[in-house]
Amino acid sequence: MSAFFGAFGITFTPHKRENPILEEVSFELEKGEILALIGPNGSGKTTLLKAISGLHSLRGRGCSGVVQFKGSDFLSLSARERAQRVAYVGSELNPEFPLRAEDVVLLGRTSQGGSLLHRMSEEDRQQVQWAMERTFCWSFRHRELASLSGGEKQLVALARALVQGAKILLIDEALSKMDLNHQAQVGKMLRSLAREGWSIVLVAHDLNLASEWASSGILLKNGRKVASGLMSEIITQEKLRLLYPETNLVVAPNPATGTPKIFFGATE
Amino acid sequence: MNDTRSTLRSYILAIAVWIATFVVAMKIGAVTDASVDVLVELRLPRTLAASAIGAGLAVSGAALQALFANPLCEPYTLGISSGSALGAVLGASLGLNWMFSGLVGTAFLGALLFAGILYLISLREEVGSLTLLLTGVMMGFLGTSLVSIWLALSDANGIQAAILWLFGDLTRVRLDGAVFTFFGVAALCVFIWMRWRDLDALLMGEEDAISMGVEISSVRRRLILLISLMIGLCVSAGGMIGFIGLVIPHFVRKTVGSLHQRLIPLCAVWGAVALVVSDTLARSAVRPYELPVGVVTALVGAPAFLWIMIKRRGIR
Repeated sequence: MSAFFGAFGITFTPHKRENPILEEVSFELEKGEILALIGPNGSGKTTLLKAISGLHSLRGRGCSGVVQFKGSDFLSLSARERAQRVAYVGSELNPEFPLRAEDVVLLGRTSQGGSLLHRMSEEDRQQVQWAMERTFCWSFRHRELASLSGGEKQLVALARALVQGAKILLIDEALSKMDLNHQAQVGKMLRSLAREGWSIVLVAHDLNLASEWASSGILLKNGRKVASGLMSEIITQEKLRLLYPETNLVVAPNPATGTPKIFFGATE
Repeated sequence: MNDTRSTLRSYILAIAVWIATFVVAMKIGAVTDASVDVLVELRLPRTLAASAIGAGLAVSGAALQALFANPLCEPYTLGISSGSALGAVLGASLGLNWMFSGLVGTAFLGALLFAGILYLISLREEVGSLTLLLTGVMMGFLGTSLVSIWLALSDANGIQAAILWLFGDLTRVRLDGAVFTFFGVAALCVFIWMRWRDLDALLMGEEDAISMGVEISSVRRRLILLISLMIGLCVSAGGMIGFIGLVIPHFVRKTVGSLHQRLIPLCAVWGAVALVVSDTLARSAVRPYELPVGVVTALVGAPAFLWIMIKRRGIR
């Protein structure tokens, strides 16, 4: 029995370094699941996303691990085939060249190929509009990317990932610069995507956001998985003490939704 | 649809300006009522070569800027032209004046040698773009310093032609050489243009490009090969002509945006225009003397570049 998408025994050591950044991390992602990767700075969350999406090669010395997509080896696929299956959303969109928001979103269609003479097929056009409307950036599609705020750029990056044709989204801190309104709307949007069959891995420093939107989570510390399970099982005071031993954290349910929320405890 | 019409308009405008400058360049010269011989043997090859070289330099500049996601890249950044210079200077001083209708044979060999080294390095998968770029820059310094040593130790008379060539020199091109360069550059432009989807994705940086499905190592290898051939061809036909490859892509991006399906053809035409105009200025501004065309492109190009950078914030 193989999962929809699974990473097994991911170990990653950067080129010419001794100590691995990730050690034997495994997880499985079901269809329609939203999984949060949680951990302090430098715990290996971004590295994990890049390793499982194929951006970091696992062929080097001190690296190992298998990634499976519907039971077959994902990392042996070409970049183009990978892009059609998994979309990675990084935290920064900062091209050095003038580009309009809709042009950036259209770049997400690169892996779909197409005619050399027509930049955009009718399907491309529909996909771009659909994605930009869903991520609330259709209204500023004609604006230069450089003129957008950090949060607006993140909406554009999300739209670009949605048009790739991939049903797995790896989102790396991509909600961090959005205002409260957009965070709520995008969270809702991610949940409805999940109901439509998309699977999402979310890296978020903001644990309160993660606990609101994700169904399950993984706690990472120093490149190792220290806990995993449903959000209500892993967002507990004792588990968080493993991750952030220096900080006095209190966990209490959100009065409106009941999801676990984190507060700073009394400081002496 | 509106988009298509504005694209068409920008192509027509560019080609019309190119034809106009071509005609003017054919009319201007030392003799005012030039005979057919002068036109066909001197001005036509020169104007044709200027068009081809300008187009080739601008297109390779645009492609390199995308490939390395770096707006400061230009055809000379990779050091291939220093290989050419080395070949030309060595050839001239050793008496190897092997020429093909005005193209400097040893310069092309020098370019191929340096391009070959760079290509071999790009075959190694673990070499990132920045390493490749820096390797090119360092090879450029190496080539330039070898040229300087050679010039310092040589008899000045024998290598004067080579020194002139270092500043850009279109005087030697003959008709068949110009036609060869023109079609060579045109073919390479088409091959580079065919990769516009990859070039567009590369604007976002290498990592983003990979995540969007660009096979980075094979795309990089092919582009390096095409661009190297283009630079080798342009430099052996016209010497070291600076700034066209840096400035023209930025100007064209200002008007039609950064996407390469339109950018590459328009860079080709506006690059041609820029070099035809520069060459006409170079041979008519201080008659009876002739300025090296590379000096003219730098004199006009450097302030123009500063202008787009500061005034219009063309690059950040």
